[in-house]
Amino acid sequence: MEKLLNDEIIAQLRDAFQKMEHPVELVLFVSQKNCEYCAETRQLLEEVAPLSDLLDLRVYDLDADADVAAKFNVSAAPAILILAREGEQVTDLGVRYMGIPSGHEFGTLIQAILLVSGRDSGLTPATREYLKGLTSSLLLQVFVTPT
Amino acid sequence: MLAYQFAMENPAMILAEGVEAMEFHELSERHQISGVPDTIINAGAGRMVGAAPEAQLLAEVRLVMGSG
Repeated sequence: MEKLLNDEIIAQLRDAFQKMEHPVELVLFVSQKNCEYCAETRQLLEEVAPLSDLLDLRVYDLDADADVAAKFNVSAAPAILILAREGEQVTDLGVRYMGIPSGHEFGTLIQAILLVSGRDSGLTPATREYLKGLTSSLLLQVFVTPT
Repeated sequence: MLAYQFAMENPAMILAEGVEAMEFHELSERHQISGVPDTIINAGAGRMVGAAPEAQLLAEVRLVMGSG
């Protein structure tokens, strides 16, 4: 299959990933049913993951791996979870992307990988304090388009 | 990205999801998304259209969570 990333982009990504501090695991959920962009999303992540020693990819099927999907509370595909990994242990930091991360959103995915890798939100002390104190669930869905 | 930063502070309570609006068009229609980025808070309890600074998203979240 033809590569999605050209040599220039690969060089840029390798350079950007130099800033990674801690391991990150990308978990992709695909589906055989009604998923127009699952194959392409999978190929894209399979080309990105080898570009850093600190980056891994695991791919699951929404139906065949229903137990894993339930564990991560994923019900649609493609879903990309950007997890913190320490050894064999992965931690869900609540960072995910639904859809194919193309165009501008590809840059956002790379930023998200770096963010999770740094393990630090970079937010102001007041914001951190408020968010840490939340005792009921908060869902932030940021709608984007790839252009 | 800001939403992701928010989630990292309390992942037990906060989930931040980037949603590609074309692919998940039913969800986009349900929330009447007409421009991006558009941040929907707790399935429509609040929203913030456009990219906004940290303080503004925090203010909107506080409004929704009712402990502001």
